[in-house]
Amino acid sequence: MSIMEYNGGCVLAMRGKDCVAIASDLRFGVQGMTIATNYEKVFEIGPQLFVGLPGLATDTETVLQRLKLRVNLYELKEGRKMQPAVLTAMIANMLYERRFGPYFVEPIIAGWDTKKQQPFLANMDLIGCITVTDEFALAGTCGEQMYGMSEALWQPDLEPEELFESISQAMMNAFDRDAVSGMGAVVHIIEKDKVTTRRIKTRMD
Amino acid sequence: MFLTRSEYDRGVNTFSPEGRLFQVEYAIEAIKLGSTAIGICTPEGVVLAVEKRITSPLMEPSTIEKIVEVDKHIGCAVSGLIADSRTMVDRARMECQNHWFSYNEKMSVESVAQAVSNLAIQFGDSDEDGGAMSRPFGVAILFAGCDEKGPQLFHMDPSGTFVQFDAKAIGSGSEGAQQSLQEQYHKSMTLKEALTASLTILKQVMEEKLSSTNVEVVTVTPEKFFHMYSKEEVEEVIKDIS
Amino acid sequence: MAVVEPFAGSRPMEANRFSPYSDNGGTVVAIAGEDFSVIGSDTRLTVGYAINTREQSKLFRLSDKTVLGSCGCWCDVLTLTRVLTARLQMYNHEHQKVMSTPAVAQLLSTMLYYKRFFPYYVSNILAGLDAEGKGAVYHYDPVGHYERNHYYAGGASSALLQPFLDNQVGLKNMTNATKEPITRERAVAIIKDAFISAAEREIHTGDAVMISIIDKNGIKEERFSLRKD
Repeated sequence: MSIMEYNGGCVLAMRGKDCVAIASDLRFGVQGMTIATNYEKVFEIGPQLFVGLPGLATDTETVLQRLKLRVNLYELKEGRKMQPAVLTAMIANMLYERRFGPYFVEPIIAGWDTKKQQPFLANMDLIGCITVTDEFALAGTCGEQMYGMSEALWQPDLEPEELFESISQAMMNAFDRDAVSGMGAVVHIIEKDKVTTRRIKTRMD
Repeated sequence: MFLTRSEYDRGVNTFSPEGRLFQVEYAIEAIKLGSTAIGICTPEGVVLAVEKRITSPLMEPSTIEKIVEVDKHIGCAVSGLIADSRTMVDRARMECQNHWFSYNEKMSVESVAQAVSNLAIQFGDSDEDGGAMSRPFGVAILFAGCDEKGPQLFHMDPSGTFVQFDAKAIGSGSEGAQQSLQEQYHKSMTLKEALTASLTILKQVMEEKLSSTNVEVVTVTPEKFFHMYSKEEVEEVIKDIS
Repeated sequence: MAVVEPFAGSRPMEANRFSPYSDNGGTVVAIAGEDFSVIGSDTRLTVGYAINTREQSKLFRLSDKTVLGSCGCWCDVLTLTRVLTARLQMYNHEHQKVMSTPAVAQLLSTMLYYKRFFPYYVSNILAGLDAEGKGAVYHYDPVGHYERNHYYAGGASSALLQPFLDNQVGLKNMTNATKEPITRERAVAIIKDAFISAAEREIHTGDAVMISIIDKNGIKEERFSLRKD
């Protein structure tokens, strides 16, 4: 079994019209055994900036802590908030430092680019190879399922409400076909001037 | 027929110059010695009735089994060499189970008859150690069943020939019984009418007095499938016949 | 493992041992309605990253009421379907009737299980009408486990498409949807959408879809183009 599947879990993000949504499931497990059903894998890094870190849970937490440290240093030094693109570059650098002994996480960065006044969405592999996308990004144990769902449900320029419906349906139906993901989900919808966070109840098996 | 008998009646593998297989013909004669069995096919289901010859008062009548269940939906009545019939019934049962295993459906009555016929004509065949079966089966069989085509009755003789019948009698009393069946049978017969008819005819051709101990009655219907009549149920039917 | 090799280099390249199986990709999707079934397959045949042909349907018409969709190791698909058609013909001669879809379903299971320890490396979906004329879809694992469903996706893109069918056909996670029987047009449209999505992400699926619509009047076939890259 791959180390990426040890704890299970998934993150999905989609871009809409002047908005971007990022969602994660809530399961934390050790192989087949479920330990917790309130384990979010998407974290708020700034006011309109989120990062999803699905993969090995211990690395999720370590990467998050080291990330916060670097973000704090950046913001103190620079005296301004971090842009999503900058965060993406920073995470990629951080991961590449461990090129031959990597952290087993595949980050997804979703946020609002206050400079360009548009949504930002990017993902990378576990050693920091970045892909910036205008469509959707995903990672986790039910990747194939999420690709199938997203490819069918996503379309350009969805309004925030429609985007919420698409991302939720894509995520729920995908992880219902994965034994090590699911147990509820949390969705953040990032818009120009606000962030809406919603929790979704799903089947708990 | 016996006038032309010759050395050709020894083996089952050789035709006589007149084109006959004597052993098969003798087997067909042999089944005329068996106890009488009657089958009637109605739109409601099929009735099988046979006489049991109680040759000694010390005999246990319930151990004579001449109507057997082949599958839930098929029964058969046999007459002749009962020991031979066991082999054939075993084959029929096995074919039914095999069919269910392979196709998850009931085997049709005709297919069962065909399968048993395939066994019946194997006399004279030989396997690698020499003969497998030395003579034809001395058995006549009535297959009664309900499949997707509805209630059906088939008759098979020792040559393996099988034919569908509306009503058929086999065994020692078959000639008279068949005549009576021809008179009494009609296409819209009810199951109850068929029951009474079969026992009335059986009564006429039996040497002993017909009672609930010396007959066996079975119905095969689309609703209840194979149903063997209990002593009480048989008495109920006998009451109705004069 | 032998402790002492008979002579040095007796097994020069362990890694190059002959493998009897190959994965030739392909995807099959089927949906059963009230009185019809729809089954579709892509037409791409691959070995690794190579495309052997863009024109190989994976649907096999077994009777006027039954269609089998089969993919995986293509040589196994060919053998299995040939043996199966022969068995169907033998049944036809023996019992003077066309085998019903549920009977084909059981037969296929027994045939697969017969090779339990050297299986046909094949993903099967059987679609048709049952004895009552209702739409029926059966799916199989390579060793003969089978189950009747209303819809199923099998083959290379099964993981991508099964949740999509759960959602759109099974109406899973649709809290305010009313369960009404799926129409023929919608079933065909969903199958097309499914394959478009799969072809977008799964390299072993693409080129075109062959769709068979089975109802009491027989089987209608339809072809639909997909991306070819």
